[in-house]
Amino acid sequence: MRSGLILIVIFAAVIAFPHLLPSPYLIHIGTLIFIWSFITTSWSYMGRFGLVSLGHGAFLGVGAYTSGLLFNAFGLSPWIGMLLGGLAAVILAIIIGYGCFRFGVIGDYFALLTLALGEVVALTIIAFRDITGGSLGFTLKSKGTSFWYFQSEEKIHFYYASLAFLILALLIWKWIDRSKMQKALRAIGEDEIAASTLGVPIIRYKMVITMISAFMTAVGAVLYAQYITYLNPHTLSGVAPSLEIAFKAILGGMFSLWGPTIGTALTVSLEEYFRVVYGGTFVGFSQIIYGLALVLLIIFLPKGIYGSLEAFFKRTKDH
Amino acid sequence: MFELYANALVNGILLGGVFALLAFGMNLIFGVVKIIHLAYGQCVMLGMYLVYTLVVQLKIPIILACLISLPVMGIVGVVLQWLVINPLLKAKANPLTQLLALAGLTIVVENLAQVTWGADLRGLNIQLPLISVGDIYLRTSNLIAFLGALITLGGLYLFLNRTYLGLAIRSIAQDVDSARLMGINPEKIYYITMAVGGLLTGLIAAFFSPIYAVHPHFGGSFTMMAFIIVVLGGIGNLLGGFIGAFVIGIVTSVSAVLTSTEIADIITLVIFIAVILVRPQGLLGIRISR
Repeated sequence: MRSGLILIVIFAAVIAFPHLLPSPYLIHIGTLIFIWSFITTSWSYMGRFGLVSLGHGAFLGVGAYTSGLLFNAFGLSPWIGMLLGGLAAVILAIIIGYGCFRFGVIGDYFALLTLALGEVVALTIIAFRDITGGSLGFTLKSKGTSFWYFQSEEKIHFYYASLAFLILALLIWKWIDRSKMQKALRAIGEDEIAASTLGVPIIRYKMVITMISAFMTAVGAVLYAQYITYLNPHTLSGVAPSLEIAFKAILGGMFSLWGPTIGTALTVSLEEYFRVVYGGTFVGFSQIIYGLALVLLIIFLPKGIYGSLEAFFKRTKDH
Repeated sequence: MFELYANALVNGILLGGVFALLAFGMNLIFGVVKIIHLAYGQCVMLGMYLVYTLVVQLKIPIILACLISLPVMGIVGVVLQWLVINPLLKAKANPLTQLLALAGLTIVVENLAQVTWGADLRGLNIQLPLISVGDIYLRTSNLIAFLGALITLGGLYLFLNRTYLGLAIRSIAQDVDSARLMGINPEKIYYITMAVGGLLTGLIAAFFSPIYAVHPHFGGSFTMMAFIIVVLGGIGNLLGGFIGAFVIGIVTSVSAVLTSTEIADIITLVIFIAVILVRPQGLLGIRISR
């Protein structure tokens, strides 16, 4: 009951914030946090069941470039592009997921294989530079403020849109958590052979969760691309963003509903704090702190920051 | 046209020699410490920055700088074992957790390099003459690296097969419990292995320094390359890694001439994905239970 109240207060604060403190900079940071939380939450659908993908950059790239290229070439609405991008990511997820799950690639091997996948997509985008603009990326054509073209000159529109998307991702997390799939996947994550002996269709469940996660990640990428209106293979695919997605979620705690959001909020704020206080050259410092925190957390608190706090409070409540 | 392919082939072989050394270090660490050293390429990068600092900023002769980088990187290896890998082994972390911790470490190392040396390319700027054999041109720096790598690999082979310490390392790789019963202290061997692996990163850095200019994200591609080779040859299989290095060296070099460098990298990565899916024991490997 009390946690519900806290949630309502936080929610009200987040809604009212742009009106109480109309700073474009803070609204921008808020929007970035919502978009990346959406993506890290989508990542954690898989991650929490032991399917730790280090290649979600692949789905980002496929989603954003499908939608962005179709928009620039044919003026296709990003809302439709979002679905098509998601679909393209699902197709990629089916190909790679079926391969992995059919041949029983799990754990560290799954992580490394997906890491390579993210890089393949980045290199493909760079290689077809005639269409994609290669390493330089490309800018989305400007349509002013238009709902149909999902563009806006007002930052606040994206603030609320991305907040709505994030809430959707959290609701889907809840829905998965209550479904039969959750029980099956948890059993698979704990002991795959035992689960299969009990007749759990391993490949089917893993495929479904991978497809959902890939679709959502691609949708998040379109959201990001529409906000920034610039697509670049180094921010939307490849090793760096792939690792970043996984690490933000792990830092906050990939096993809990709010973990990825907390992790994203912390890392984005830390990075911005260093950028503002120490200037561009010392952005590296925030990354060093973040990396060190990550290594320490992974070794000593594998549940992440929020996950460990949650476990701590649960324990004290039981006593 | 023919000369172009011949050149690519020869350069691929030269590249393969250095790759073999790169993969050897990662393979040895995996075989003995049972950890995928995902920050291996980043250690090579640190070594290259060290050589750069010594040569360009402190004006130390290049040979001496290279000699200094060996023990320093060896110490880096030991420190890594002490601060990161040992705690992971003590916590009985599963392989995935170990992998993520080391991936986190790459972020620390890369950004440390960026803060210290900046994001620009740092090269030694030395021009060694080209050697021509008929229509084929060889870069002296590549040739030195290739020969140096082969000699080192020969030395390592003798070390692992002929010395007491080498045998101890191999016995730990084969069966930790039996080795312990024979009076070998695994923890000590882990430290020694990481020191040897560190020395190797220093040596590779010395070979790479005249060839490449280094930047903070330089290491990632080499970690990936080393890992691809290791998987191709069968994880823990030193001979397989040696052959795999030449396969990958030739494939990347020739396909880069045929298509573009990006397509060449895509081909290598697809080979890697296919091997993990279909033949995870590697092309030459024997399946080991983990």
